[in-house]
Amino acid sequence: MIEFKQVEKKYANGTVALQNINLSIEQGEFVAVIGLSGAGKSTLIRCINRMHDITGGQLNVDGVDVSKLKGKQIRRFRRRIGMIFQSFNLVTRTTVIKNVLVSFVPDLPFWRKVTGIYSKEHRIKALESLDKVGILDKAYIRVDQLSGGQQQRVALARTLAQNPDIILADEPIASLDPVTSKVVMDDFKRINADMNISVIMNIHHVEIALEYADRIIGIRKGEVVFDGEAANVTKAMLDEIYGGRLEEASSAPSAKLATSFQEGSTAHV
Amino acid sequence: MLMTNVEKQLLASPRNHRYVLTVTVVVLALFAWSLAAVNLQDINQGGLQIAGNIIKGLFNPDLDLLFNVSKQSVLYLLVETVAIAFLGTIVGAVLSVPLAFLAASNIVPKPVAWLTRLLLIVIRTIPALVYGLMFIRVSGPGPFAGVLTVGLTSIGMLSKLYVDAIEELDTKVLESMTSIGCSSFEKIRYGIFPQLLSIFLSVTIYRFDMNMREASILGLVGAGGIGAPLIFAMNSYKWNQVGSILIGLVILILLIEWMSNRLRSKLVKG
Amino acid sequence: MYDRIFPPRRVVLPNGKIVLEKRSRTPLILLLLIAAIAASVWFTEFSLKTLFTRINEFFVIIGDMIPPKWSYFPQLWKALVDTLQMSLIGSLVGALLSLPIAVLSSSNIIRSKTIVTIFKILLSLLRTLPTLVTALIATFVFGLGPMAGVVAIFLFTLSYVGKLLYEAIENADMGPFEAMESLGMNRIQAFRCAVMPQVLPSFLSNALFCFEGNVRYAAILGYVGAGGIGLLIKEDIGWRDYPNVGMTILALIVTVYLIETASEHFRKKLI
Repeated sequence: MIEFKQVEKKYANGTVALQNINLSIEQGEFVAVIGLSGAGKSTLIRCINRMHDITGGQLNVDGVDVSKLKGKQIRRFRRRIGMIFQSFNLVTRTTVIKNVLVSFVPDLPFWRKVTGIYSKEHRIKALESLDKVGILDKAYIRVDQLSGGQQQRVALARTLAQNPDIILADEPIASLDPVTSKVVMDDFKRINADMNISVIMNIHHVEIALEYADRIIGIRKGEVVFDGEAANVTKAMLDEIYGGRLEEASSAPSAKLATSFQEGSTAHV
Repeated sequence: MLMTNVEKQLLASPRNHRYVLTVTVVVLALFAWSLAAVNLQDINQGGLQIAGNIIKGLFNPDLDLLFNVSKQSVLYLLVETVAIAFLGTIVGAVLSVPLAFLAASNIVPKPVAWLTRLLLIVIRTIPALVYGLMFIRVSGPGPFAGVLTVGLTSIGMLSKLYVDAIEELDTKVLESMTSIGCSSFEKIRYGIFPQLLSIFLSVTIYRFDMNMREASILGLVGAGGIGAPLIFAMNSYKWNQVGSILIGLVILILLIEWMSNRLRSKLVKG
Repeated sequence: MYDRIFPPRRVVLPNGKIVLEKRSRTPLILLLLIAAIAASVWFTEFSLKTLFTRINEFFVIIGDMIPPKWSYFPQLWKALVDTLQMSLIGSLVGALLSLPIAVLSSSNIIRSKTIVTIFKILLSLLRTLPTLVTALIATFVFGLGPMAGVVAIFLFTLSYVGKLLYEAIENADMGPFEAMESLGMNRIQAFRCAVMPQVLPSFLSNALFCFEGNVRYAAILGYVGAGGIGLLIKEDIGWRDYPNVGMTILALIVTVYLIETASEHFRKKLI
């Protein structure tokens, strides 16, 4: 369970990124965080695994006060939380399986860390997690030869190999075309349902958020303005979240989707 | 005053014209100036005859010299040349890695990077033969001096290309490794090292290919390899020996170039 | 090949799926590398001990070069000018002549396979010979002096720029070329109008880059008697007149740096 209690985040230059955040997310929920760019979505997610430090209030993950962790404790704490990025963040010059195996690195004995020789058990676990996202056959191919969608699934497999309780996803489909976006979102949904892993996702595409997530959190200027089931999101609510600029916010991405789809399709020809 | 795009273009175009004209005039002037270096009067009957003899020698190489297995045979000296180039490349690569990090502006402060770069320019500009002559004073004449020379002359290019690779590092992967819970050492070993390894290797193999040419001339100053017998054979007008040495050298260099190209394309494509 | 000698390992996943895991090539590559290094150490009599005990000699020589002997500069000037002239004329003529040679080596412009192959082999043979060896041969044919250096630099530039140029021509977009041919031009005219504009910037840039390198090369050609400052370096090191060598090297560094800066400026403009 993730609990935010009066969480506040102020950057060093004085800008307030988050304030008065009170949330409680149960194990196994699929939460989509929506809002305009710069509203604080990304900051919210990054506070959960201490990629950002909070400056006020309290943030507990399964009873652990996150801001009290130090050095090695933070690294151990992060092992339980997977994270997915918009730009995949893979080492593109090595094979898929080596990228997945990286998630075991912090647990390795020192000689294995230096040599990069993994145990059979780890290699099997890595292959299994590739199988879970359906790209087992790509295991020994170099990442730079895969499409964007496949790369994001490698990132997903890397996270799964960590065997996390929570997956944080920061705009996971923002650089994918609509067709691959759907495949990747289906993967998220399946992982969430089958393995009871909580998914907390920042997302630009409102329609996709409403389709896949159980719960929607709307953020505006660093504050939560909506928190409820996806089914309860109304047009008025969205207007509130996007400050009356829903037309812009929802039509712009879909226009972008259309063009990116065209680019994607020509790129494959 | 408003100008249409067409008018702007019209005004822009002649200026470009003048620029091209200036450059052309300067180049022509330089050409005329440097004509002083051309002197065709020294080609006498002897020169043409020698040219003919060289060609004759190429077609009638001294096969015995080419294939016998003594320390003076072309084969042995070619292997020695490869050994000089190879070990020299390794020495150069080992020295270049720390220098490259010291010259990368995204790793060290600007003044340090600038100073290292200046040092690299100096190292790169001093001709290989000068290093050769200097190293002979260190290790005595022989292939060892050749290795040191090749190593030092490789540093300039290797570091420069290594720096490019370091400055183009993808740092996003480090963010994801932070989120996995990796320590700094793990991030360098698994996030940075694999990115640099294949580029560094590819650059180093390319330099090995170039060092073959470098190593084959070092014999001229007594630093081992095929160069010394070549100049002896020429000075004593033994053109069929010259022929066999040149043939061996050309075949070897082409072979190594072909291998280096294959290896590098494999590294790039994975 | 490798996979046949060391067959891939079968990995069975708990759900029954089988993955063929190729054997890593790293151990073999490391082994070969170590063997090659050991062999090279033996062949070249490489010794770390000698290196560490005697390397100070190297720095002693460098120490002797500093400060350079400034009064040597007037004597140096003539040789420096020779070096520059050699590389300039060699590079210019070489680059110009590489144009027709590169066209003759491009399989998409010239229909005759024989011509293309002959010129490609010619270029790669020329490129293989180290410049100093070419210069050495040239001193026998053209006599001692800058002319031999000009020939060596000319041949190197021809082969280097020529190779890069024919590769660029072969990779050029041939659509416009066909369009020009259909307008009634012959192949040479079509090349001039359709392919030339595509490859010109990279050609000029390569020629400039080659010129930069040639100045460096020209500096050593004098060693075999082909003119320029190489001869001075040879004599001064022979006489152990290190302050003079220091001055020569300093002049060379400044010259090369100036030329590189100018050339880089123009190359940036081209791309």
